[in-house]
Amino acid sequence: MDSSLISTFLADGFLAPKYLGWLLDGWLMTLWASLLVVLASTLLGMAFAAARESGRAPLAHAAGVYVALFRNTPLLVQLFFWYFGVPALLPEGVLAWLNGTHALAVGSTELLRWPSFEFLSAIVGLVAYSTAYVGEDIRSGLRGVPASQRIAATALGFTPLQALRYVVLPQALRIAMPPLLGQYMNILKNTSLGMAIGLMELSYRARQAEAETWKTFQVYGVATLLYIVAIAALEVLAHGLQRRNARRSR
Amino acid sequence: MKKLTLLTLVFGLVGLVPLAHADRLADIKKAGVLRVAAFDANPPFGFVDAKSKKIVGLDVDYADALAKKLGVKLEIVPTNPANRIPLLSAGKVDLVFANFTITEERAKVVNFSIPYFASGTQFIAKKGTLTSPEQLSGLRIGVDKGTTNEIQLREQFPKATLVAYDDTPFAFTALRNGNVQAISQDGPKLIGLLANVPDRDKYEIPPFAISQDYIGVGAPKGETALTELVNTTLRELEADGRAQKIYDAWFGPTTKTPLKRIFKIGDKT
Repeated sequence: MDSSLISTFLADGFLAPKYLGWLLDGWLMTLWASLLVVLASTLLGMAFAAARESGRAPLAHAAGVYVALFRNTPLLVQLFFWYFGVPALLPEGVLAWLNGTHALAVGSTELLRWPSFEFLSAIVGLVAYSTAYVGEDIRSGLRGVPASQRIAATALGFTPLQALRYVVLPQALRIAMPPLLGQYMNILKNTSLGMAIGLMELSYRARQAEAETWKTFQVYGVATLLYIVAIAALEVLAHGLQRRNARRSR
Repeated sequence: MKKLTLLTLVFGLVGLVPLAHADRLADIKKAGVLRVAAFDANPPFGFVDAKSKKIVGLDVDYADALAKKLGVKLEIVPTNPANRIPLLSAGKVDLVFANFTITEERAKVVNFSIPYFASGTQFIAKKGTLTSPEQLSGLRIGVDKGTTNEIQLREQFPKATLVAYDDTPFAFTALRNGNVQAISQDGPKLIGLLANVPDRDKYEIPPFAISQDYIGVGAPKGETALTELVNTTLRELEADGRAQKIYDAWFGPTTKTPLKRIFKIGDKT
């Protein structure tokens, strides 16, 4: 930035606290949504990888079709499908319930609130999409564990499930960790597409603030910084895990 | 003495020049032609009729009524939004009838007549579900991202839940699905949207607006006589019912785009 840019920036004034609050709200929503998607897609991804590696043809085929379907179509189209398409198939009563507000409250303090349909469909869409990627990364980790490990475990009297749980999976996850963390970063960035279906995450809030303030540079500048902070935190985590792994395998 | 005559002549001319320009009304009568800028692709305000290949529309009807009142021929000059002010300032047209929203910024460079049309932030909802603005606070409302409609709703109805979509058709799909109970846009845009919906009988545009944008006739800056004549004519048209007729021709119940008239000429000056 040269000095003239800085001076226009300051002359324009920075964002009012109200709009910074919007961006912060959006950021928290981005983090919350990312966390849910990461957890769900990792659990489902393990089941998915297990299905693909199970050696049972129908199961492996079904998982193959799933990958083809979710990896070969744009995420935005998938989100539109979950938000605009699926409701057309649901009975009217179900949809009305999903769209309504349901809260669990003690006295006047609300403890839990049923999330908006925008949130639900964005999470479902992101999980379905991310599972295909996360599952393949876990699978590559599984394949990276030498077959002799499983055979040795079986020879020691482990059942196939036990061999997977105690011998193969721990090693597989260690191999899969670097690509998985890259995938988690993608998930965090992909949540921004949720803005198209009304998920009030960081990009949605940034656009809202921009439309009201016309301070395009400031709004997107702050939004970019917030994304960078989140991704950087993930990267620090990745480095930490890798160092720990390196120590362990020595 | 000679010097003095020359000086008088020069001063006289200097005085004459603005005077000659300041009376466009006289020029129009002398020429026998009223030149009006109108849209050629913005139905139903101004658009090329598929059959006659002529520019027709609500704006053109108003221009026509004015030309009749003056007893001159009407000449339509097609324009787009960006050209409206340049055409006026360059003297290429006498008046602009092109869905011209009155704003303070524009009023610095053109004369505006009193408004003859208003387009406001209105709503589409399932029939019978939305009758008054007070209900809006409890609803989920679909809006277009970044529009003034969204900002107005947030300011006036902070308790309403707003969901912003990329454009109006998306918002309408959300309404159909039941994700939102109403969607918001400018009235004329909503009616245009509804006209193309197969199950439009299920929906309605409740006859209220939460804000209004006023549409006026643009005249060259400083042409007071011309502006006054436009104002008088507009008031006459409202008084003798011709304004209602023009409105009904484009937004009446028998048209493809029926929109209840909630603004009359003279409601705001």
